[in-house]
Amino acid sequence: MFWQQMVNGITLGSTYALIALGYTLIFGVLNIVNMAHGEIFMFGAFVGLILATKFNIGIFGALLGAMVAGAVLGYLMERLALRPLRRRKVSELAPLISTIGVSIFLESLALRLFGPQAQSFPGVYSTQLFEIGGLKISAVQILILAISFGLMLVLRFWLSKTQLGKSIRATAENIETANLLGVDTQKIIVLTVMLASALGGGAGVLVGLAFNAIEPTMGITMGFKGLAVLILGGLGNITGAMVGGLLLGVAEVFSVAYGVSSYRDAVAFGLIIVLLFLRPQGLFGSQEQQGGR
Amino acid sequence: MDFLLNPYYLQIIMFIIINAILGISIYLTMATGQLSLGNAGFMSIGAYVSALLTLKAGVPLYVAVPVGGAAACLMAAVIGIPTTRLRGIYLAIATLGFGEVVRVVILNLTITNGALGLSGIPSMSVMLSKVFTAMGLAAGIGGMSVRQLGNISVIFILAIILGFLVFFALRLSTSRLGRAFAAIKADEHAAEVSGIDTRYYKLLAFFMGAFVAGIAGGLAAHITFYIGPKDFAYHRAVEILLFAVLGGSDVVWGPLLGSLILTLLPEVLRFATEYREMIYGGILVIMMAFRPQGLISEDTLGFWQKKLMSKSEASTQGEISRRTTR
Repeated sequence: MFWQQMVNGITLGSTYALIALGYTLIFGVLNIVNMAHGEIFMFGAFVGLILATKFNIGIFGALLGAMVAGAVLGYLMERLALRPLRRRKVSELAPLISTIGVSIFLESLALRLFGPQAQSFPGVYSTQLFEIGGLKISAVQILILAISFGLMLVLRFWLSKTQLGKSIRATAENIETANLLGVDTQKIIVLTVMLASALGGGAGVLVGLAFNAIEPTMGITMGFKGLAVLILGGLGNITGAMVGGLLLGVAEVFSVAYGVSSYRDAVAFGLIIVLLFLRPQGLFGSQEQQGGR
Repeated sequence: MDFLLNPYYLQIIMFIIINAILGISIYLTMATGQLSLGNAGFMSIGAYVSALLTLKAGVPLYVAVPVGGAAACLMAAVIGIPTTRLRGIYLAIATLGFGEVVRVVILNLTITNGALGLSGIPSMSVMLSKVFTAMGLAAGIGGMSVRQLGNISVIFILAIILGFLVFFALRLSTSRLGRAFAAIKADEHAAEVSGIDTRYYKLLAFFMGAFVAGIAGGLAAHITFYIGPKDFAYHRAVEILLFAVLGGSDVVWGPLLGSLILTLLPEVLRFATEYREMIYGGILVIMMAFRPQGLISEDTLGFWQKKLMSKSEASTQGEISRRTTR
């Protein structure tokens, strides 16, 4: 029972980690909490769903399509809601408020386009169950684990080894210095927002598979969880986002398994409030990061 | 007369006043430069506590509403003491999370009736109509029915509360306390260095915002007869934020103007109701891009003051010159 819940928790947590990675990438480079990330995630889920049901392309095609849709939305958001703010000096809260605007815009757009009712992926993958050493694990779970861990590994490798990845890290470290050293920071910013949004779109399909329900309001719920993970892991910290996501997934599944199922959505923020008491910079944040004083 | 006293219009006026009170609540926290997205949560605590008191315990309204505000304030202490250590983004997310936790808790308690919400909350106007009937005014006065009389007096009471709060906020901005708030907003480190206990003042601003939001919640509950957990979700928090973003949070008139515009807008643009959230989202993005300080800032006030002054001067001068030529 315990290990079974552990597997479920890690599967759920890996999708949270993917969502939180998107937040963390953007925060790292731009110092912005992108409140619209949850809605981009939700749009990704719907695009994936439409591709899978209407066009009958497989789950991988749907995933790819969702990621492309996420990247396009990310690009539009950067151009329309973030870039105008960078041109002049505004308070650090301005981008937060601006992305809140994008988030409610996208949510109500989704309500109009896709309707309020929950929809689900065709149940091809959920029926098969494998048994490994007494643990039941479904094909969907294996798929989710493989894709999300695969994406995380690729991202880590890409960030640490490739030219572009290094440019992103340099920009995150210090945008002016990176600019002086010949990094086209404008391009890097656009690229980062698109990459983060693509990850969000992909996570949308995975969560749609995991919960088997996609609705326009899921952006807010899941976005909040990503935010919780962002704080849990420490702002702008990629390892923190991965570990924090897994931790939240496990904590949630155990809270459901051992009694307090209806409080599930409060677990994430309960964790944050406790953490803010003890360690305001997050689990993996360094002492000198902003936030706590 | 009957056209003007249409209950629908009266209801809208009541909502405008309630939203204006909420605007003041976010203005009070923003006066120290803190962005709190928890005001919807505080509002819901005020609404539920006072509604439960009048509904289940039969407590009179004038006790229940302040108690609701106090409960919100108490909650603000629990959440505020750890979170006012935080700044900017951290505080915004923590308070947003707080609102979400409150919503989930309300959704799951039996006393709050879960997702169904509380209905049949004693309405203020009905209560007042009863009082008027008991006073022997069952036929109404001056062509107004008792019901209209009740509604009008509710608006009157709300307006008095709002007037008091505006007066308080205006006095605050010129007081020692208000100057400390402004100093913290301008530069927290500099304020701390010049001997301002920033933690104390930020907490105080947070408490005041929570109290006013709680009062607004209690009043709203006794106007609409029904409250549910959905009334106080993320969208409500964003709407309250919009009052300050659209109107401006530098001076108290900003959130007041913001709440007036945003409450009237959906009523005037009936056809646009379906696009309401989209319009709200667009307003947030556009305001941040082009006028982050909101419609009214201190400069705007100064500009109009000057203009009006010079205009009145010019007109008196014109008067004089006309007289002399005659």
